[in-house]
Amino acid sequence: MISRRTFVKQCLATAVAAGTLPVIPVDLAAFPLNNSPPLAVRRGEDINRLVRQTIEALGGIDRFVKPGSTVVLKPNIGWDRRPEYAANTHPLVVKTLAELCLEARVQRVRIFDFTCNDPRRCYVNSGIRDAIRSLDNSRVRLEHINDRAWKEVAIENGRELTRWTFYRPALEADHFINIPIAKHHGLSRLTLGMKNIMGVIGDDRGRLHWNLAQALADINSVIQSDLTMIDATRILTANGPQGGNLEDVEHPNTLIASPDIVAADAYAATLFGFQPDQIESVVVGAERGLGTMDLEQVELV
Amino acid sequence: MIWRTFLPRLRATSQVICLLGILLLFLATDYRGEDHIPYPVSLLFRLDPLALVADLLAPGAFHWQLLWPAILLVIATGLFGRFFCGWICPMGALLDGCGVFRKKTAQPPLPRKWRRTKYYLLATTVAAAALGVQLFSLLDPLSLFLRSLTISLFPAFNWLMNRLFDGLYALDIGVITEGTDRAYPLIRENLMAFHQPHFQLSVLTFAIFAGILLLEKIERRFWCRNLCPLGALLGLCSSHGLVERVPTRICPDCLQCESDCRMNAVQSERNCRSECVQCMDCLEYCPYERTRFLGIKAKPALTNIDLSRRGLITSVALGAIFAPVAHTAPPVQRENQYLVRPPGAVAEDEFLRRCIRCGECLKVCIGNALQPALLEAGLLGLWSPIVVARHGYCEYHCTLCGQVCPTGAIRELPAETKIQTVIGLAVIDQKLCLPYARGTECLVCEEHCPTGKKAIVLESRNISAAGHTKRLKVPQVVPEQCIGCGICETRCPTQGISAIRVINEGETRHLNSQQ
Repeated sequence: MISRRTFVKQCLATAVAAGTLPVIPVDLAAFPLNNSPPLAVRRGEDINRLVRQTIEALGGIDRFVKPGSTVVLKPNIGWDRRPEYAANTHPLVVKTLAELCLEARVQRVRIFDFTCNDPRRCYVNSGIRDAIRSLDNSRVRLEHINDRAWKEVAIENGRELTRWTFYRPALEADHFINIPIAKHHGLSRLTLGMKNIMGVIGDDRGRLHWNLAQALADINSVIQSDLTMIDATRILTANGPQGGNLEDVEHPNTLIASPDIVAADAYAATLFGFQPDQIESVVVGAERGLGTMDLEQVELV
Repeated sequence: MIWRTFLPRLRATSQVICLLGILLLFLATDYRGEDHIPYPVSLLFRLDPLALVADLLAPGAFHWQLLWPAILLVIATGLFGRFFCGWICPMGALLDGCGVFRKKTAQPPLPRKWRRTKYYLLATTVAAAALGVQLFSLLDPLSLFLRSLTISLFPAFNWLMNRLFDGLYALDIGVITEGTDRAYPLIRENLMAFHQPHFQLSVLTFAIFAGILLLEKIERRFWCRNLCPLGALLGLCSSHGLVERVPTRICPDCLQCESDCRMNAVQSERNCRSECVQCMDCLEYCPYERTRFLGIKAKPALTNIDLSRRGLITSVALGAIFAPVAHTAPPVQRENQYLVRPPGAVAEDEFLRRCIRCGECLKVCIGNALQPALLEAGLLGLWSPIVVARHGYCEYHCTLCGQVCPTGAIRELPAETKIQTVIGLAVIDQKLCLPYARGTECLVCEEHCPTGKKAIVLESRNISAAGHTKRLKVPQVVPEQCIGCGICETRCPTQGISAIRVINEGETRHLNSQQ
C-alpha cells in the first residue's frame, strides 16, 4: 500500500514535522476538560429529525463548522454490509450531517473511509453512496481514498506510536466530524469514536492492535474530532466489528453527540451495559487528556 | 469501382471496431457498483470454436447456453469462409497493425509445408483433449490475446497511468492538483484498474505475446499462417464454403498476389481457400480489377492444404500418447494443499479440461486474489486461476468470476450459495501467530472473518512467551464455519508467510462430485 515514496517522505517529513505539527489544531481550550463538556443524547426513529435534534441540542451546526470551510465527515464505511447489519454508519446520519453542513454554507464536505473490504463494495452496500448521490450537490463528495495523499506525521508525546502515516485530507480539513457506529469488538470490547479514527491512517493498521488503547490515544492526539456523533440507531452486540448476523443487531434508536470524544465513547459504552472504565480506550483517552470519561462531569444537553 | 476500395476499408474498420469493442468489454470486466455485470464481457470466448471443442470433449453437460455463439460462428465459417480471422480476431488485427512497421521489401514466402504446422498442432491438441488433456488454451489466439492483456499489458498501462498521476500530484500546484483531484476518480473508475493489479507470470506471459508479434518480422501474419490452431479449425470448416475468390489461381501475367496477399493464399495451381481470411485486399490492389468474391458451388478443397497423411497420423498419435502420460503425473490436488480454486470451480479434472485460460476471472477478481498458476496446479494447470490468499482474498459477497467464465469451468453461483461454498479451510500456524508465539495481542483475522457466525473465534488462554505466562485472547478456527475466503491470510500482520493459511480441505466442489 505504501509507495516507494515513503522513503522520500520520511526524509522530508523529518524536516517538515516541526513546521507541520503546530498547524494541527490542539484546541483544548475550546472544550475545557474538567469544565463539563456538553453531551447530547436523543432517541427517535426518524433519523433525519434525530440528527437535527441532536445537533440542535449542542447549539447547532454553526458551533462546529464555519461558512466557507472544508469539512471532513468520517463515517465508518469499513465493511461490505447493508445498513441493517449495523456494521457501518447509517447512510441517513451521514446524509443529514452533510445537509446540515451545506446549510451552514461550508465550501466543501468530503466524506471518506479507508475500508477493510473492497472500497467500492463498501461504499455501495453501506447505502452511503446512494444517500450522498441523492443530495445531488457538487460541494459534497464521497471520495475513495487516494493512495497518493498519505503523509507521515511525527506524533508528539506518542506512547505506542511516535510516527505514523495519516490521510492528508483528514489532516488538512478545517473541521473534522467523526461519525462512528457503536459496535462490539473482539479485542477492545467496543469500537466507538476513538477507534473510528483508524479509518484515516495508513500503513499496516493490524500492528496497532498490539497495544490498541495507547495507539488509539496516539492517533487521536493527531486527528482531533471537532464533533463526534455516535450512531447507535442500530448497534452490533456480538461478532463485531463487521457482524453479518441480524440476531446480533439491537435498535436503541439513539444518537450521541459531543465535542468531547471520550465523553461520547463513555456514554455509548453504557448502551452495551458497560461502565466507561471497562473500556480501555476510554480510560486511556481520559488519562491522556483527550476528554472526560466521568459522565457525572458531563453536561447532558 | 468504388467497392474495390470500399470493401477492404470496411474490413479494416471492422477490425478496429472489433478490437475497440473487445477492449471496452475488457474494461467493463470489473466491479462497477452492481453485483451483476450487465454486459456480455466474455463474448469473445463464447464465440471461440476451440472453447466449443474443449467443452464438447470435457466431462459434464455441454454448455450450449454459453457457447451457442461459437456454433453460429462455425456455421457461418462453413458458409462464408475464414472471415473471423480477417475481420474480427483481435490477434489478427494486432498483427496487421504491427505490419505497419514491417519493411516493405519483398521477402520470398516460407515454404508451404510450414502451413501444415497449425493443422498438426490442432490434431495433437484435439487428440489429447479427446483423451482428457486440454491443451487448446496454450495456443488459442483469443486466450493468448486476452490473458496477455489481463496479466501483463493492462497492469503495465495502469502502472504508467499511476506514475503520471503521481507526478501531477507531486507538483502540488493549486490548479493542477485541483484538476487532477477531479479527473483522477473519473479516469480511475472508467479506464484504469481500481487497485493496481499484480500478477505472477506477468513477464512470462508478455514474453510469449511479444514473441508472437515479433514473428511478423519473418512474414506477414506468421502466427495465422503457420501456428494458429483456431485458424486451422476455421480453415477446415471453410474448405467447403460458398464464397471463393476468383481467379481461383494466380494469374501468370501478373503475380502481384504472390507478394501482396497477406495470407499468401493465392497459389499457382489453385488458391488455398482454407488459408484465405477474406481480407479483400486483392480487390483493391489487383491492377486488372479481375478479382471477385463470389458465391460458388462447393468443391472439396482439403487437398490444397497439402497435409501429409503421415504427418497427420504422427500428430494425432502424439496427442493420444501424451494424454495418458500426463494423466500418470501425481495428483497435484493432494501434493499441494495450497492449491485453492475460485468458488464455483468444477471438480479439478473437469476444471482443467474446461478452463481455457482466457484470464477473464483474473481480470474481474475484485481482490486480485486470483492468480495464474505456474506449476502450483501441475504442468497442465499452467495459467489456470488459483486463489493466492496472501495476495488477495475472495470477497465474501462477490460472485463475479462465475459470471464471466465463458466455459462453465467456474459456475455462476447465486449470492446465497456463494457464501456457503467452501473453497478451503484456514489453518493457524502457532509458531508464527503473534498471540501464540510472542504473547502479543492480535485479533486481525477474527476481526476480518466475514461469516455471519465467525469462523475465527477468540479464546482466552494462558500463554507462555519469553519466560512469562499471561492470559491472552488467541484465535481459533471453527472448521464448520470456515469457507476459505482467505481474508485472514491476506490481512495477517506477520511479515512474509501468513500465520494463518488457507488449505484446500473440505472443498464443496469435491464433496458434490463424490455424491
